[in-house]
Amino acid sequence: MLSVRDLTVSVGPETAPVDIVAGVSFDLAKGEILGLVGESGCGKSMTSLAVMGLLPQPGPRVRAGRVLLEGSDVTQLQPWQRVEAGHGRMAMIFQEPMTSLNPVRRIGDQIAEAVRVHEGISGAAALSRARELLELVRMPDPGMQLSAYPHQLSGGQRQRVMIAIALACRPQVLVADEPTTALDVTIQVQILGLLRELCNRLDMAVLFITHDMGVIAQLADRVSVMYAGRIVETAAVDALFGEPRHHYTRGLMDCMPSRNSGVRRLPTISGQPPVPGTVAAGCVFALRCAAVHDECRVAAPPRLEASQGHEVLCAFPLAGGELP
Amino acid sequence: MSGDVILDVREMMVSFSARRAGRKYRVQAVDGVSLSLAQGEVLGIVGESGCGKTTVGRTIVGLVQPGSGTIKFKGTEMIGAGSSSLRAMRLNVRMVFQDPNASLNPRRTIGDSVAEAGDISGFFKSRAERSAAIAATLTGVGLNPSFATRYPYELSGGQRQRVGIARAILPTPSIVIADEPVSALDVSVQAQVLNLMMDLRDQLRLSMLFISHDLGVIGQISSRVAVMYMGRVVEQAGTRTVLEHPLHPYTRALVAAIPKPDPSKRILGAIETGEPPSLFTRPHGCAYAPRCPIASDRCLVDVPTLRSVGTDGRTIACHNV
Repeated sequence: MLSVRDLTVSVGPETAPVDIVAGVSFDLAKGEILGLVGESGCGKSMTSLAVMGLLPQPGPRVRAGRVLLEGSDVTQLQPWQRVEAGHGRMAMIFQEPMTSLNPVRRIGDQIAEAVRVHEGISGAAALSRARELLELVRMPDPGMQLSAYPHQLSGGQRQRVMIAIALACRPQVLVADEPTTALDVTIQVQILGLLRELCNRLDMAVLFITHDMGVIAQLADRVSVMYAGRIVETAAVDALFGEPRHHYTRGLMDCMPSRNSGVRRLPTISGQPPVPGTVAAGCVFALRCAAVHDECRVAAPPRLEASQGHEVLCAFPLAGGELP
Repeated sequence: MSGDVILDVREMMVSFSARRAGRKYRVQAVDGVSLSLAQGEVLGIVGESGCGKTTVGRTIVGLVQPGSGTIKFKGTEMIGAGSSSLRAMRLNVRMVFQDPNASLNPRRTIGDSVAEAGDISGFFKSRAERSAAIAATLTGVGLNPSFATRYPYELSGGQRQRVGIARAILPTPSIVIADEPVSALDVSVQAQVLNLMMDLRDQLRLSMLFISHDLGVIGQISSRVAVMYMGRVVEQAGTRTVLEHPLHPYTRALVAAIPKPDPSKRILGAIETGEPPSLFTRPHGCAYAPRCPIASDRCLVDVPTLRSVGTDGRTIACHNV
């Protein structure tokens, strides 16, 4: 459904570009949720914006690589050009629904606006489709809520409205950038459940971006772990959590409090992620890696296939079967 | 435990006025909260956004005035205390905020920010003593003493939060109120800062009120937990007891909704958590009743009060458990 190949997003002058996303590749199938996980600044949001054609302008740009939607190259197309060219069936939801919704318009009108753009219907027909969409996202009392303003809704309900707007184009691909980070856990679990249900029911491909390994474990089918602009490990979710092969992935899991109940001190990853553009040669994780070899500091690490569908960007990956 | 109680909060009530759709409302943010903190103890306060947990912390340090209730520090009442004794007490009850970007003055050096409380209270006898104290405190939180002359923008998020902690422990306090101190940090940095806070707790015998929405983080650092819902404490017990055997239906939902980092323990679609309440339309009876799977008729009219249940000093406010 969606193929991303060697995507490189750069900032700075053409003559001396700094890559904030460096050669990212992944595939996303129908009805599949791919989790893209990493810490702030790792390039996961830039990847999602580049995939959507929504990079802020002027600013970061796609310097190399391709985004293929059902085989068609949409890399350099603006969102409206994609719609005109018939590739409009991608949608995105964001972290903070309050900043994405217009505070002075009724939510029914905001959903109907998206319906008008994508379905060419208006008036009562668009509103009735808006109501259907609210039912689809399991909004309580959808008929009443059409005339509500965003401030009258709870955070979870607002995110449901955002999802309804995203579904107006009947998307084949839904990109979700930290959609539950601003929500309480009790509401997060509802929104994650809704996304899983919609993915199955509508056979959508979902690219789910988060910093939270717990959320990834709950929701994703496959996972790509990003660090300093690169995907360092990709695997099916069971394989990733059962047998992480990259030292960074393992480190991320080890320092989660919920995996360490009762221990006196939490394991940590020393140091901080590198500033983009400062790693000249070798592995980007070498500075923080506990198992670093001399070779890692000079030679770029190979992309190894640890097992079927389990790729790791490391010259000295962890052996399988290390975690219980 | 009663012998070394350092902070004792009784029946704290805090309300705010708010305006919605042209009408004035009184929002009861904290509705009769009682807590006590022993020397060297970490009490976690957990709850959803809007439950009043932050207001409890801000009221204890004096940033918010309570409507009624008492807050005793080492047996001395803080509310209505004279300015000089209040100033002395405030030096002992300090706060770490969630967002170090917002709480550090961008135009002051790190050293000046760290020394601010000492400067105001006239704690430092000489410039040399002041610089030495700043250097020692920065070293204590794992920062290079040379950071004293730098500005916040030169630091990473984790380093800034270390500064946020440093300014809360100089001069040595007795109590630190930490309001979501690691929520803005990435997990790898979060673990470093949590370890630091645990070290300080042990080295300085700090008492802490650790406010967080994250039960995983609370479970790591605190020995007891109070669970808040709509301005009230609904359950309080030892941390392991709460995490492993939650009793109150709200605590149970909260524990069940934590996304476990284990794909073999999926919970999506398996638990029912209901809609959060509006602060403007407080239900009669138990505030949790509209979301509660075991609510009975009594819950709709009768507000449950905290009562002791079982061992481990557990208290719980529920009619049906």
